[in-house]
Amino acid sequence: MLLSIENLRSYFYSRSRRAFVRSVDGASLGVARGETLGVVGESGSGKTVAALSAAGLLSGSPGVIGGRIEFDSRNLLEGLERHVKVEERDGRVMAVEKDESGWRRHAKGLMRGVRGKQIAMIFQNPRAALNPYSTVGAQLVEAIRLHTEYKGEGEAKERALHWLERVRIDSPRLRFDNFPFGMSGGMCQRAMIAMALCAEPALLIADEPTTGLDATIQARIVELLAELKADTGITTMLISHDISVIRRLSDRVAVMYAGTVVESGAAPQVLRPQSTEQHPYTAALLASVPSAEAIRSKSALQAIEGEVPDTIDRPRGCRFYGRCNRVTDGVRSRCANLEPPLAEVAPGHSLRCWLHAA
Amino acid sequence: MNNAILEVTDLSKHFRTRRGVVSAWTGQGRVIPAVDGVSFYLKENETVGLVGESGCGKTTVARTVLRLTDPSGGRILFGGRDITHLRRAELRPLRREMQMIFQDLDAGLNPKMSVRAILREALTVYERPSNAEIERRIRELLEQVSLKESKLANFPGELSGGEKRRVGIARVLAVRPRLIVADEPTSALDVSIQAQVVNLLRELQKHLGLSYLFISHDLPVVELVSHKVAVMYLGRIVEMGLADAIAHQPRHPYTRILWSSLSEKQTAETATAKNIGGVFDFERPTGGCRFAPRCPLYQEKGRPAVCTDLASEPPLRDTGKGHVVACHFA
Repeated sequence: MLLSIENLRSYFYSRSRRAFVRSVDGASLGVARGETLGVVGESGSGKTVAALSAAGLLSGSPGVIGGRIEFDSRNLLEGLERHVKVEERDGRVMAVEKDESGWRRHAKGLMRGVRGKQIAMIFQNPRAALNPYSTVGAQLVEAIRLHTEYKGEGEAKERALHWLERVRIDSPRLRFDNFPFGMSGGMCQRAMIAMALCAEPALLIADEPTTGLDATIQARIVELLAELKADTGITTMLISHDISVIRRLSDRVAVMYAGTVVESGAAPQVLRPQSTEQHPYTAALLASVPSAEAIRSKSALQAIEGEVPDTIDRPRGCRFYGRCNRVTDGVRSRCANLEPPLAEVAPGHSLRCWLHAA
Repeated sequence: MNNAILEVTDLSKHFRTRRGVVSAWTGQGRVIPAVDGVSFYLKENETVGLVGESGCGKTTVARTVLRLTDPSGGRILFGGRDITHLRRAELRPLRREMQMIFQDLDAGLNPKMSVRAILREALTVYERPSNAEIERRIRELLEQVSLKESKLANFPGELSGGEKRRVGIARVLAVRPRLIVADEPTSALDVSIQAQVVNLLRELQKHLGLSYLFISHDLPVVELVSHKVAVMYLGRIVEMGLADAIAHQPRHPYTRILWSSLSEKQTAETATAKNIGGVFDFERPTGGCRFAPRCPLYQEKGRPAVCTDLASEPPLRDTGKGHVVACHFA
C-alpha cells in the first residue's frame, strides 16, 4: 500500500449548528502502488475531507483529530494524537481540545517533502485553483523549479512545455503565456493536471476532476486521465460522485457514506449492478442512476428514500439503517443498535453491513 | 398547432458587450447572438427537453420564452396568444400560468422566511383566499411534493438540498401554473436525491397536466422525462425529435458526439469524439455551418465546400416523423 488510511477522523465546528460535524468519522481505505482507487459517495459523505486530510491540506477547525495516514510506510499523523482531546457524549462530540500550534509544528515536519512533491492534487474547479494573476506557463515553471531537478529558467520552461504537450493542450507555446481566464474550463483542467504531474509525484489525488465541465469535455478529460494512467502508471485516488467516471478509471472502489467507508473492493465487484454481495447503499446508489432499461420503459427511478443524514449525532447502529431497504427482521435489532464493522466477505472485498457479517 | 401551449418561432436574443467608456458612449460593442433563430413548440401535458453544452443558449431561451428578458426577434405564442410584445402589466396575469424552477436551490426562498411564510406568500400573490383556505392549500401542496408538515416552521437554511427543491416546487405549484420551465432542476442535487426529484416532477405532470420545458445537461435524465428533445449548439437548434430517436438514432454529428461522450466515459471502446478539434468557445464561423470547425463528418467528407459556404447555413430539414436536423449530410 502506498497510502493507507485507518480509522481517520476529521471534525469541524459548525457555528450555525453550534455543534461538531463528523465529516470523516472512522474511515479506512488504502491505495496500492500503481492502482487507481475510486472513491464514490454523495456530497457530505466525507470524500473530499478524507482526501484533503491525506494531502495535509485540511484547513478549518478542529480538522484532523485522529487516526492513521500511512504514506510510503511513514505515518503522517505519528504522535499527533497527544495534541488532541475529544469529549463525547451519546454519540455527539461535546468538545474538542486541540493544541493547534503544537499540532501544526509537529505535522509540518512530518509532511515536509511529501505535499506537492510526493502527493499532488487536482481539484473540481480548476480555474479557482490556478492563480489568476500569473500565466499558466509561469505557474508551471514555478512548480517545476520547486519540485524537480530542472532548476534553470530555460530547462524548466522546456519541461513545462513538455508537460503542456503531454496533457494535450493544443499549441502549448501559445498557451504558455495565457492567463487562466483566457482559457476554457477543460483547458484549465489540463493545465492543472500538468501542474500536478510535473513534479512526478508518487500519488495523485483527483477530486471531482470532471465535475462542472461540459459532457463532451468531461469525456476528453477522462480520456486523458486514462491515457496518463496507462503511460505513467501513476497511483491515483480518484474522487467522484459520477459512477460512470469511477467505473471507467478505477481498479478498486471505496464507497463512502456519512463519513465512513461502507464498502471497498475491486471495481467490477463493487459496481456490479444487481449484485447480492453488495452494501445496500451501493446497490441503491447504482439503482438510482437512470438505466437504459428505466429510460426505455419510462418507469420511475428507484430513489433512495430519505435524506443523507447529517453527521452531528452518530446513530447507535448502522448509519444507513434509516434508509436501507434490504434490512430483514433477522438483523433489524442489530442494525438499529450496533455499528457493523468493515468485514471482509471475499478476498479484497469488504462490507460494513450486518447482512454480510459472519 | 392547436393544442400547443407554447409555440416559439424564429426566436433570437442578442447581447451586446460594452467595454470601456468609449464604446458605452458610442453604443458600439460586440454583439453576441446567444439565441439565433430558434423555433419549437410544446404541447399541453408534454415535456420538451433542451440539451447542449454550457454557453449554447439554453438558459437564454428559457428566460426569453418567459419574457424575463426581451427577445431581439421572433415570436412567442403562449396558449395561442402572442406574448412577444406584451407590456409588463399585460404579462402579469399570464405570469401565474408560466413558472420557472431555477438550478440554484435557494433561488426564490427568502432565507428570513419560514417554509410556511414562503408558501403563504406564494398563495396570496394572485388571490386573497381566507386563512382556512390558505391552510388547506398549504397542506395540499406539502402532500403534492411529499414534504413533512413538521418542516413548515423551518427556515430554508435548515433544510437539506432535496427539501429545498421540494419547497421550491411547492412554491411554484401554489399559483397553479400550466407551464413550468425547469432550468437544471436536478443538477445541484445528489444522485440519490436527483432520482426523487425526477420522479416527483413526472408524477406532478401526470396528476396536474403540467407542461415542462426541461433544460439539463444530464442526458439520461432528459431522455427519461422528455417526449421531445431539442439539441442546441451555439444558439441554434441543430436537431430535434422524439427523445428516443435523438438518443438512439441521432443524425446530427453533434448529437452523436454528445451522446457518445456519455458512453465513452464508461467504456474505452468507441472514440467518435476523440479527434474532435478545437475547443468550445463563443467564437463561431462567420458563415456556413456553425459546427463545421469541430465536425468529424466535415473532416471525413474531405471538407466539402457546402459546409463552409459563407452564404448559407444548413436549414432544419424534416427527415420524417417530425424529426428535424440541420446538417447537409445527415
